[in-house]
Amino acid sequence: MDNLKKRFSQIFDKNIDKIYRFIFLKVSSPEIAEDLTSETFLKAWEAFQKTQNPISSTQKEIKNPSAFLYKIARNLITDHYREKGKVQIISADYVRMFDPRTNLEEKAALTSDIDTIRLALSNLKEDYQDVIIWYYLNQFSISEIAQTLGKSEGAVRVMLHRALGALKNELNQS
Amino acid sequence: MIMTNQDLVKKLQILKDVKPRKDWVILTKSQILGPEIVDRGRASIWAFFRYRPLYRPVLVTLVTLAVLMGAFSFAQYSLPGDILYPIKRVVEKSQAVFVSEKELPGYNLEIVNKRLEELNKIAETNQVKKLAPAMSEFQANVSEAAKNLAKVQKVDKEIVARAQKLEETKQKVEKVLATKIETEELDNVLKQIVEREIKALEEQTLTEVQEEILVKIKEDFEAEDYSRALEKILFLPNLPN
Repeated sequence: MDNLKKRFSQIFDKNIDKIYRFIFLKVSSPEIAEDLTSETFLKAWEAFQKTQNPISSTQKEIKNPSAFLYKIARNLITDHYREKGKVQIISADYVRMFDPRTNLEEKAALTSDIDTIRLALSNLKEDYQDVIIWYYLNQFSISEIAQTLGKSEGAVRVMLHRALGALKNELNQS
Repeated sequence: MIMTNQDLVKKLQILKDVKPRKDWVILTKSQILGPEIVDRGRASIWAFFRYRPLYRPVLVTLVTLAVLMGAFSFAQYSLPGDILYPIKRVVEKSQAVFVSEKELPGYNLEIVNKRLEELNKIAETNQVKKLAPAMSEFQANVSEAAKNLAKVQKVDKEIVARAQKLEETKQKVEKVLATKIETEELDNVLKQIVEREIKALEEQTLTEVQEEILVKIKEDFEAEDYSRALEKILFLPNLPN
């Protein structure tokens, strides 16, 4: 059990920032992002424990923990919007989630930039949002994205190209 | 203006600034895997204690010790009238407990010398308000030194050296303050010691050289330069014990 905890601890450390960012950019509220991120890791931990349990031998081994975490996170985000019928609302508090900066002008400009790009991103369809976040922010390779989405690498490249074009349009309109 | 892909990717990088709160990350990990698994490398020392209430007394003790050590260090540079000055005096008194009875008069003279140096610093920096408490501290230490010096049966090198140093510092401070510093109690004790030593010498058979030195000792005594008289007594050549 200790070994499993250590392994999951490493997975947690490696992915916590990325999963949080992935969720936050879709829900735009730090509180909800924290809740959903916690739930993602809790579900993943439960699944990891089951893989070690000889009684539940039907549980498959988790070969790609990162992809597994994103799968849970995506499902939780979908459930969140489905259950609550929520629209994406920008929390007034979300500014505090960024790195503290002493220069207020710089902070204000940065917050404004983040806000603009985040809003543009949120107007894209879900698959486009995902590939952009994974490739440009969370440093996934094309092959990893293909594996996560269950698509070919070529299809992912096309999707990424279209996603970037769509984001450019959104930003030009704003 | 048309936005290029490069501009867009650059803009996207700003979103990397979106990060979870560090304390929330530690708390979440601790809730899922238990506090013992929280990576100590990532967690701050405060987070460590935050999630381990049983260790809080250790933290309190460590912080208290650190504060005390800091206060003791700074107190060494304090002057009478400063907030930390009482700590300096407590440290000195505690050190005195570990000094043997034989070495105590020398230690007391050293402390009196320190008080004089404080007076000198106060005078040089023109901290008028601190002058009165400094004088009061000085007099208290002079009394204590005189009391312990009066018990001395035989003067040694250390006492003589410190008495001389004290005299030098006193003259220096008197110059800066342009006033005479009163050390009557201490002078009286030194006078008695020198008187006693002169009497003992007079009762002995002395060589010609020793007789000459005794004359000089008496001159120093008359001039109330007791520390110099003591020095001569101590280094009197071939004096039988």
